[in-house]
Amino acid sequence: MVQFKEAALVRSILTLDRRTALKGLAGALLAGMAMPAFAQDAPVTGGTLIYLEQQAHTNLYPPAGGFYPNGGVLNQITDKLTYQNPQTLEIEPWLAESWEVNDTATEYTFKLRPGVTFSDGTPLDAKTVALNYDTFGLGNKDLKYPVSEVINNYDRAEVIDDLTVRFHFKAPSPGFLQGTAVIGSGIVAASTLARPYDELGDATKIIGTGPFVVESETLGKELNLKAREDYTWGPVKFAHQGRAYLDGIKYIITPEDSVRIGALLAGQADAIRQIQAYDEPQVVDAGFPIYAPGTRGLNNAISFRPDNPLVADLRVRQALLLATNRKEIVDTLFSANYPLATSILSSQAAGYVDLSDKLVFDQDKAKALFAEAGWTPGADGILEKDGSKLDLTVYVSLPQPQNEGVLQLLAQQWAQVGVKLNVLAGDAGSRTLDLLDPLKTPVNVTMVGRADPDVIKSAYYPKNRDWLLQKGGSSDKTNFVDEKLNALLEGLAAETNREKRLAISGEIQNHVLDQAYTIPFFEEPQAFATAPYVNGLEFEAVGRPSFYNTWLAAH
Amino acid sequence: MSRYILSRLGQALLVLWIAFTVSYLLLQALPGDAILIKFQNPELGLGPEQIAALREAYGVDSPLWQQYLHTLGNFLTGQFGYSVVGSVPVAHELLANLPATARLASLGLILATALALAIAFLATLAPFAWLRGALQSIPALFVSIPVFWLGIMLIQIFSFRLKWISVINPGEIEGLILPVITLAVPISAPLAQILLRNIDEASTQGYVAVARAKGASPTWVLWKHVARNALLPTLTIAGILFGELLAGAVITETVFGLNGIGGLTERSVRFQDTSVIQAVVVFSAAAFVLVNLAVDLLYPVFDPRLRKAKGVLA
Repeated sequence: MVQFKEAALVRSILTLDRRTALKGLAGALLAGMAMPAFAQDAPVTGGTLIYLEQQAHTNLYPPAGGFYPNGGVLNQITDKLTYQNPQTLEIEPWLAESWEVNDTATEYTFKLRPGVTFSDGTPLDAKTVALNYDTFGLGNKDLKYPVSEVINNYDRAEVIDDLTVRFHFKAPSPGFLQGTAVIGSGIVAASTLARPYDELGDATKIIGTGPFVVESETLGKELNLKAREDYTWGPVKFAHQGRAYLDGIKYIITPEDSVRIGALLAGQADAIRQIQAYDEPQVVDAGFPIYAPGTRGLNNAISFRPDNPLVADLRVRQALLLATNRKEIVDTLFSANYPLATSILSSQAAGYVDLSDKLVFDQDKAKALFAEAGWTPGADGILEKDGSKLDLTVYVSLPQPQNEGVLQLLAQQWAQVGVKLNVLAGDAGSRTLDLLDPLKTPVNVTMVGRADPDVIKSAYYPKNRDWLLQKGGSSDKTNFVDEKLNALLEGLAAETNREKRLAISGEIQNHVLDQAYTIPFFEEPQAFATAPYVNGLEFEAVGRPSFYNTWLAAH
Repeated sequence: MSRYILSRLGQALLVLWIAFTVSYLLLQALPGDAILIKFQNPELGLGPEQIAALREAYGVDSPLWQQYLHTLGNFLTGQFGYSVVGSVPVAHELLANLPATARLASLGLILATALALAIAFLATLAPFAWLRGALQSIPALFVSIPVFWLGIMLIQIFSFRLKWISVINPGEIEGLILPVITLAVPISAPLAQILLRNIDEASTQGYVAVARAKGASPTWVLWKHVARNALLPTLTIAGILFGELLAGAVITETVFGLNGIGGLTERSVRFQDTSVIQAVVVFSAAAFVLVNLAVDLLYPVFDPRLRKAKGVLA
């Protein structure tokens, strides 16, 4: 496994090296790798960073941090019990000094760091942490809090003493330790969790222990954070422990791509989120660094719903996989920041297995498989069988980069072997309902970021995201079930031995591609750009920005 | 006069109730609902049982008439509920967005009117026929400029290249200059067109010939005789255009990153955020009714004949 991780690291260095060599950007290599501050100069304290965000944040309940704009705010104002090192993916102490896990991974005991306070002055103690995890693990029906996706089999929290808390699980939960490090597990004050869920879209109500505090906000337009002077509890292994270098961060919602990029290049902003691949050259040519941290989960892909009779036959799904020229999609629409997927899982994820040989493009073989499955070209060139045409529908997924372009190109590729793919935009309501009906949507766009093998279970298990729409999951219209896959997923979520757990992950990656359930396209990054004088911009393990170590050089 | 205002107020309330009910029914007829769209969304990664529990907590599966009466009752007592997408009380969202849009739209309307008057008067008074012709074709040009393109061009030129105006984090007034121009240009076009046409029409009237025969200068004739008669239909159109202003504000707000009712409405419709849309509909309908009431009350100010007619009827 270590080898795979190294390979990924080497690749990312190579990518960056090429860029720096081309553009002669001194320092971009170090900055681009998001290494903790060992940049050329000593960090400077002071200044406000102007950060242009594409969309306004929504609900800031920490488990809703998966939405990129939410994660970008929560990562500054909340801390987590543990810190996942984005290079090694190891879990390191943060708000928890140490922890113990029992052999069956059903009991986790955390010792909290003393002296930590919330921005309202209340201390971080075992009681508050217990309240947070009880809410994340079980939800709160009265206040309408949903549960957190990353916490499985949660039973209860037990306060041992002021600074010791123990979590009990109903079944083994080996993914929990990593779950305490994710963006969705930020610890908030008891006063925040006493409010109704429907009020947590107001950032000023989110009280955390983070290096920044919400100073003011104009809903949908602007959010101002200021540094906490008394902050002394950065992740334990960071050299930097005290207050953030920046005095503050001003988030300005700027939906229009050209305005965000233009403002950055014109010196009106210091950092921006979301740059499409086709806009990268104008940023790089101006000498501004682009950061594209990977999201380390399941790759940007499409997944089939085998309950739909058109894609129920394995040979049809295999033929569609063979008819997909993934390289053309990546080369045409994207840049070096979007590496071609070589498994369903990101190559930067623990447990990744290189399955490139199962992801080849071969139109002749595809046609042969269609013929073998009984599909023959009709008068209009579209494949037919028993009077029905191989006519499939997919909805565009707006958060995924250039998704409409990806699907249109795919439709052209599939048309070459006689398959019709209709690409729909649709209103949110129809889209949501149709996606629950495998007959209406035989294919769906899928992607999820999280740096733990549990992410695979989250994606495919019927009681979670249920990507294949299995019986007993989100849809009441389906009978499809893959017992073998589900057993593997349950094993993955419950296996406490790390090596065995990663082996199961490899088995699942193989199984999903052997069954041609998913066609992965590329490893999805989050793209950011900054002015050249912005140093120390870092990213947590799934690409959410952290401004704790960020500082502004003289300019 | 007070009876007239009372009956107009009664009509206004009826309009508000109809707007509320029709928009409510239309929203309900759409597939899906806000709670489904929010919680079935991959960003939360919730499973089917968790979603079912939340639907129950929100009571979204109760009968339509119950939900309607509940919402109507809340509105009558001034409770607009919560925005499902924004997760804040609807009243907060309105408070954050209404004043911004009101300012942008009214400044836009003022500038549009000024532009329209300038174009119409210049096109009438300009010395050469070719110049008058050129000025008269400006409205056609203005109405065909896409707001989106205009906004981006203004930003590119005046902010990014000339660096005269900052779009990001600008001062109070600085931040309004480009958006107001963007909004005003397309709105000024129909105003100018109607004004021009009415000036043409009024100019052929007998009283204009009489005034000219008496030796009045063209400016005097235009200002004292033609313009007053040409303004009335323009005023009516201005009232109606107010609605278009709100629609134009959506694009202007998006391009300039301003908060406002336009963007809020667009987002709420996209996610079927019923309580926000209901509130926006009621407020917009109220604004519309008020503006048109103001226009009706302004007629007698511009036209003495209407003043007398009212007097006779009363």
